[in-house]
Amino acid sequence: MIGINLLGLLVLVLFVVLLIVFIAIGDRWPVSFRKIRGYEALLKALERAVESGERVHLSLGTGSLIGTDSAAAFAGLVVLTEIAKVTSLSDRPVVVSTGDGAMAIVAQDTLRSAYREAGALDRYEPISARMLGPTPFSYAANIPILLESERVSANVLLGAFGAEGALAADFGERKQTFVMAGTEDIQSQALLYAVAEYPLIGEEVFAGGAYLDVSPAHRASLRVQDTVRFIIVGGILIGLLLNLLGISL
Amino acid sequence: MAEIRCPMCSAVNHADAEECVECGARLTPLIAGDEPTGESRESGLAASAEGQTAEGEDWLARIRRDAESPPPEEEPEEAAEDIEPGESPDWLGQLRQADQAYEEGPPTGDQPDWMDEFVAAGDEETPEADQDEEVPEWLARIRERTQSKEISTEIDDDWISSLRDEEAQLSAERPAGLEELEPAPEEDQEEEADLPQSAPLDLGALSSVPPPDRPSGEWRLTDEEAEAGVDAEFATGPPADFSEEGFREDAGEVQGELPHVPALIPEDTGEKPIIEIDEKVLDSAELPGWLEQIKPALAAMEEEEAAFGEDQEDDEDDLAPATLPSWLEAMRPVDAFRPEIDLEPEDDQPVESAGPLAGLRGVLMAEPIVAKPRTSSVSASRLEVTERQYAQAELLQRLVESESREVRAGPEKPFTLPITRWIVTLVLVVAILLPYGFEQFGFQGFATPNVQSRDVAPLVSLVNNVPVEQPALVVFDYTPGYSGELDTVARSVLVHLNNRNIPIVTLSTRVTGPPLAERLMRAISEESAGDGIQYLHLGFLSGGPTAIQLFAVSPRDAILTGFRLPEGLSRQNVWASPILQDVRRLSDFGVVVVITAGTETARTWAEQTQPWIGESPLVMVLSAGAEPLIRPYYESLNQQVDGVLTGLPSAVAYQQNTGQQAAALQSWDSFGSGLMMVEIILLAGIGYGVSRWLLDRRSG
Amino acid sequence: MKLGSYLIWAAVAAVSGLFVLLGYFIPVNLIPVAFQLRLLIMQWAVLLAAVGLFVGLANIFLVHWTKVGEQSEGWPYSAILLIFFLITLMVGLVFGPDSETVRLLFNYVQLPVEATLSGILAISLALAGFRILSYRRDFISVVFVGTAFFVLIGSGPGLIPNDGPGYEFFAGLRNWIAQVAAAGGARGILIGVALGSVVTGLRVLLAIDRPYGDG
Repeated sequence: MIGINLLGLLVLVLFVVLLIVFIAIGDRWPVSFRKIRGYEALLKALERAVESGERVHLSLGTGSLIGTDSAAAFAGLVVLTEIAKVTSLSDRPVVVSTGDGAMAIVAQDTLRSAYREAGALDRYEPISARMLGPTPFSYAANIPILLESERVSANVLLGAFGAEGALAADFGERKQTFVMAGTEDIQSQALLYAVAEYPLIGEEVFAGGAYLDVSPAHRASLRVQDTVRFIIVGGILIGLLLNLLGISL
Repeated sequence: MAEIRCPMCSAVNHADAEECVECGARLTPLIAGDEPTGESRESGLAASAEGQTAEGEDWLARIRRDAESPPPEEEPEEAAEDIEPGESPDWLGQLRQADQAYEEGPPTGDQPDWMDEFVAAGDEETPEADQDEEVPEWLARIRERTQSKEISTEIDDDWISSLRDEEAQLSAERPAGLEELEPAPEEDQEEEADLPQSAPLDLGALSSVPPPDRPSGEWRLTDEEAEAGVDAEFATGPPADFSEEGFREDAGEVQGELPHVPALIPEDTGEKPIIEIDEKVLDSAELPGWLEQIKPALAAMEEEEAAFGEDQEDDEDDLAPATLPSWLEAMRPVDAFRPEIDLEPEDDQPVESAGPLAGLRGVLMAEPIVAKPRTSSVSASRLEVTERQYAQAELLQRLVESESREVRAGPEKPFTLPITRWIVTLVLVVAILLPYGFEQFGFQGFATPNVQSRDVAPLVSLVNNVPVEQPALVVFDYTPGYSGELDTVARSVLVHLNNRNIPIVTLSTRVTGPPLAERLMRAISEESAGDGIQYLHLGFLSGGPTAIQLFAVSPRDAILTGFRLPEGLSRQNVWASPILQDVRRLSDFGVVVVITAGTETARTWAEQTQPWIGESPLVMVLSAGAEPLIRPYYESLNQQVDGVLTGLPSAVAYQQNTGQQAAALQSWDSFGSGLMMVEIILLAGIGYGVSRWLLDRRSG
Repeated sequence: MKLGSYLIWAAVAAVSGLFVLLGYFIPVNLIPVAFQLRLLIMQWAVLLAAVGLFVGLANIFLVHWTKVGEQSEGWPYSAILLIFFLITLMVGLVFGPDSETVRLLFNYVQLPVEATLSGILAISLALAGFRILSYRRDFISVVFVGTAFFVLIGSGPGLIPNDGPGYEFFAGLRNWIAQVAAAGGARGILIGVALGSVVTGLRVLLAIDRPYGDG
């Protein structure tokens, strides 16, 4: 049909079908994922924080809710669900910070649902999810105050960050806290690799749900990503080969 | 169909069957002279040697008839006189050694003929009030016939003779338990003919139990017993499987003993015998002589009963304690299980004074009995503990103790000065500030690059070809933190546009964008000669990428108000400005310049505006870090970005190519010195890391 | 919230998201009604983002107001923030956002503060570069530091003078690293990030992930 992006539609349908298929298969086709140091250390850091009565801080970044960089923030919300359940009954539950007002509202809803699921709705406080500043560096400037006043021992940065993400991670490293940082921006990933103790490179940001075993759908999502990745790699190699042979598509 | 139930195994058999199909027991009593049928006989069972005739009911009929007619007179003494001293009665000689392991009771089934006189004697007598269930049937009949006085001698003669014949037949075919028994000598059998007609007691199952004081196997009467006077009247035939030695005639020697029936012999405890023979039966003139002799013994038994008192239970009084075989006696539990507590007499027992049992005697006292501490009669075995268990127990004890012990707070981490950070900061600050004193030190500064980036010249050409009548849209999409770098780089392009008298329209998708734009444009305007620069701020575009697409489709619908508008222009009518009078679409702008530090923003503008930008070029002024990701948009065949300007060196080169006053050179020396310091720091870090690795490796 | 309630929100999110998504693949402008509806949904998104900014500012105020009220740790900083928050708000409301006063506040307070933070970032990155080999001794870290060094060498004046014979080599090396190696690697990472973004978005559209909460 005229004007219809058939290739795009096809890719979209492929994603949906693969997601549904892998969710339906579930554990009947077992798969093992490679180890990611960050998520392994995260679980231990959570336990340590809960046992020592210290707080966990999760940052969803400075990206907008409706921007293209919101995907990493949604991945951070998935991890927030799990962290909230773990810390719901500790002395100091998790605190969430964002650089966008709409993202702060979404974080509040996620926290409330997680507390309800953990049976600790009475411990939910709306100010647990807060906006630190409207601009990236004003957001980063509030990080040391938050780390100090809330007695944070585990610092998780999962969302849309710019260069201020490296600054936030550096503040956490100065406090000798556990720092795990990941974002979708390439520049920021390079900065976080140098600064953070446990950096997440590339799409490791989106693997949090699967590695923390949030739900079978998240494991299925990771399998979908791997499947399509191999398809793309195969297509690239085929295109390269054809180009080398002088065949143009 | 008529059925008959086996008396031994209760199996149902045909009415005409003689033997049970299950166990082989006789279903019908043997009549004297009949051949025994059946392949095997159950040991200990009263077999046909008892003298039961095949036609069992005939004798019963005779008994009934005799009961109506007066019993024949008999001389019990005659039976006794017939037996010569020293000789055991014939019937006694017929006694067989019983199986020691088997205890028989009296046989069930039809009553033999020799029991007729008993039945007749006890007919008129009323039965005992307490008919014990364990009283054998044959003895029960005796009681019933206490009034019967007619015993047919003739009938006795008949069945005695039949018994003799049958005995001869059975001698060759013995029951299973009686194989080792030997028949009495023939002389006994001959003598048996002279025995009185009265029949001895047929004990059946009881007959196999030897008396307690007689070793097993001695089932024959001793001479003494024979001399004691066995009533021949009652010794008219050997009972089947008779294991007793015989009767004990001397009732005066053994008190309470019944002849040849150990089960009837009460123990010394004074328990009443199982079988109670009514004295009236014994008073009957028709009783055999031997039974006459036991009358004193029975009387003695009755006296003992009275002496026993009312405390004895009726059941126990009626029952004679069973005589246990020696092997069974050996299995009796020892005295250790007997209670140690001796109960006091009731009168001596204290009266309970409290609780629901107040006023009662015999209440168990908790304190003196139950709660009395006493050592266990069983010595506790020594607990064996291994070394490992000791160690684990000690560990557990230490853990428990440590829990209660107050833990001192660990020493706080000592405050360490961030020396390294201070040094790095100091070095970089000095490096940046130092160039301002280069002239004083005679340093000329860093040379400008002689190699220009290949992107500069095309960009210069592109901007030179922008139509003058069309305004340029400049997007300020960076935060104040990047203003130090991007202001310097963007100034080159903005000054070039201003030098060509192209109006500039600013826009931003960030809230801090319009102030940044105003600051830069004002600075450029102040530095430019003439009337300054023509610029207009459209202000803040809210909505991110969605808003960008909206603006690309219809700019007038996406932006309604401006920022710091010039006089005469209201915020509600920014599009009335002369600069924007011909602008309806994105393609109406002469060039679109996006100034950003983030790759995402650059990509969003490149992708969202592509369908609507038309022929207008898109120029990216980027931070050095964003260049690698935007370059593909610039170098692809389907070019989405038409020009790229990245970093201070490119800005310096652009300014040199456009004949601008090299304002970028003002920060060139600081830039150079700072870069040099960072390179030195990195080299130092590499050296430090390698040396630590070597040291760690050497130390192992 | 009961089961039926959150299903309604899930349905609303799914329908609107799918409608906008399909608009990228199917030319809805051919159908004027669909085009207008899609445009309307996007305008609502823009409005909600602006409202979200106000909600975020209100959240900032509430958080720091609570800290001051409870006098929890760090409450003096919260008090200062609240004071200047209110002053700036009042100035902006009274004089307007594009007034000279607000411009002065921006140029002499906010801009220098954020620029300083950016400078601190540069120092932190330099320090991180110095320590990286002592913290992580692996091949990737060695490549990282080496790449950073050579790109810096070819980016401007420094240890290698611009007019020296070696600068052209290092400049070319820097260009190759930035435009070939880094660009290719970045493309691969971007493809992975894009895959993750697509799947994450699909989970939201299919109501598997419900960031709007379950009630």
